[in-house]
Amino acid sequence: MSQEPSRRRLLLLAGGGLAALAGCTGGGDGNGEGSANGADNGGDGASTDGDGTANSGDGEQSAEQVEGPMPLVEPEVPLQYELSTFAENAVSGGPPKDGIPSIDDPNFDSAAEGDEDLDPEDPVFGVEIDGDARAYRQDVLVHHEIVNDTVGGRNVAVSYCPLTGTVVGFERGDVEFGVSGMLVNNNLIMYDRATDSWWPQILGTAVTGELTGASLRELRVTWTTWERWRDEHPETQVLNTNTGYARNYGHDPYGSYNPRGGYYDNDRFLFDTLDEDDRLPPKDIVIGARSTDGAVAFEKELLREEGLLETTVGGVPYLAAYDPALDTAYIYRNPDEISVERTSEGYGSPDGTHGAGSLPLGSVNAFDGMWFAWVGFYSDLELVA
Amino acid sequence: MSNQQPPNERLAALPGKTRKRLATTGSLVGGLLRRPGTLAVVLAVTALYLTAFLVVMQDFTFDPGVGFSSFVVDQPLDRMFEPGPGHYQYEPIAVLDVRIGTWVFSPLNTAIGLFLSVLVGLNIALTYLAVTQPKSCGIEAGTGILAAVPALFAGSACCGPVIFLVVGIQAGGVLLTAFQWLLPAATLLLLGSLVLVAGRVDPTAV
Repeated sequence: MSQEPSRRRLLLLAGGGLAALAGCTGGGDGNGEGSANGADNGGDGASTDGDGTANSGDGEQSAEQVEGPMPLVEPEVPLQYELSTFAENAVSGGPPKDGIPSIDDPNFDSAAEGDEDLDPEDPVFGVEIDGDARAYRQDVLVHHEIVNDTVGGRNVAVSYCPLTGTVVGFERGDVEFGVSGMLVNNNLIMYDRATDSWWPQILGTAVTGELTGASLRELRVTWTTWERWRDEHPETQVLNTNTGYARNYGHDPYGSYNPRGGYYDNDRFLFDTLDEDDRLPPKDIVIGARSTDGAVAFEKELLREEGLLETTVGGVPYLAAYDPALDTAYIYRNPDEISVERTSEGYGSPDGTHGAGSLPLGSVNAFDGMWFAWVGFYSDLELVA
Repeated sequence: MSNQQPPNERLAALPGKTRKRLATTGSLVGGLLRRPGTLAVVLAVTALYLTAFLVVMQDFTFDPGVGFSSFVVDQPLDRMFEPGPGHYQYEPIAVLDVRIGTWVFSPLNTAIGLFLSVLVGLNIALTYLAVTQPKSCGIEAGTGILAAVPALFAGSACCGPVIFLVVGIQAGGVLLTAFQWLLPAATLLLLGSLVLVAGRVDPTAV
């Protein structure tokens, strides 16, 4: 099933952060294991701005870019499995390819119109690029899983996997992504409509097809509530139910997030996972990130309580800063061990006070997910709980 | 192929006993539909099973607060043949709020459900007839109902089989493979059950 990466890919060395990265790339070699992307935007001056802005701006990524039909990077994250293992363990979830149709022509309402359709605590997935803020409703995406959209002039795919509780954004160039109908570790496997390569969402790296081994460039998507997103982004647009498909958008086939119930609130899985780890209940929510140093996850409830958490990943200091306005957190690589403290105004560092999302450190793309999902892909991840 | 036969010739080529049983079944079904009492049973069971089928498939959701409204997709005739989220499931073309709930209407899902429901209705009506006849013997009440059960397991929602979500079982490879055969298996069981029960009923009773 697995195919070798295409040899025609041309590696282009990107700018900032490369020197720092070079010291980390050895983390995944020497043991025959695979590697995948970390969407690490590398050096200082991370573009994440604390309110959900995409953090993978052009020229800011530290990873080596790869030529392809969409923006790609060389994989960075050390993995415990060969990429082919993910392909071999893929199972059909039931739906055929595109049986869960992606939204390819999304329509949006104003924030005021969104107020009429959404409860304040309903979950939404927020993206903001160059001042263009979008809220993608969970109750709509649960029926489609992928939106191919253009935000701030940039073509993006926002993907949501209900079974793992993960939402990840990718740059897609001119290529659309669809739902393959396959799952691995209970996680959505996307396919691209240019080469039909398979992309497990959490991995963000192709595991079969012409682009096997290449990783997508990620962008920040914030899992929050409608009220929080709207308060932070009054001019936001919100995805509406005019998707071109007939669906009962008031009904989530798995359960409910407002209040939390059903599949989202029990300990049962639908399919096998590659690995299990009882350090946390399987569906506890963690905010995780992965980079050349490895993978790390912070328990969300602990982040709410503590605000600022620190650890080391692959010997490199990392920290997570909680943003109470959006009930999210940002994860930073802190190799120079710059002092950061939580203050009443935000987070203080030697050069001043910053928001949780705008610390003067190298930001690593972070996203919410159920514990079992994170540990299924990154079994030796560093957990802070 | 040159050796294709017209249906009546194919029927004639079947062994005598089989041909006779099929003819009896057809005659009994016709009789069931002509008698007001058994027709009422068939219709009632058909309606109940179709409702259950659509609910389990998640095409129909009970919600007393929805009122009345409708939405139809563009180009419904094209859309209705596109594959849906599960085996033998197809794209809906309309969302109908019908006061007691929301019906995400897929013509093909409904047609499949109706076909199964009629089979279930006929099975139950025939079984009822068989067990209430003095001359019948060896019929276990509920045969038709048991044959109808697998079809209710066949629905998928988004990422997985509905039944796995409901009962909380974890899907392995064997289960997933078996899953895709549930609907055809149920259809065969219902047809087989109908023919079986027809052999135990006094043909003069209808």
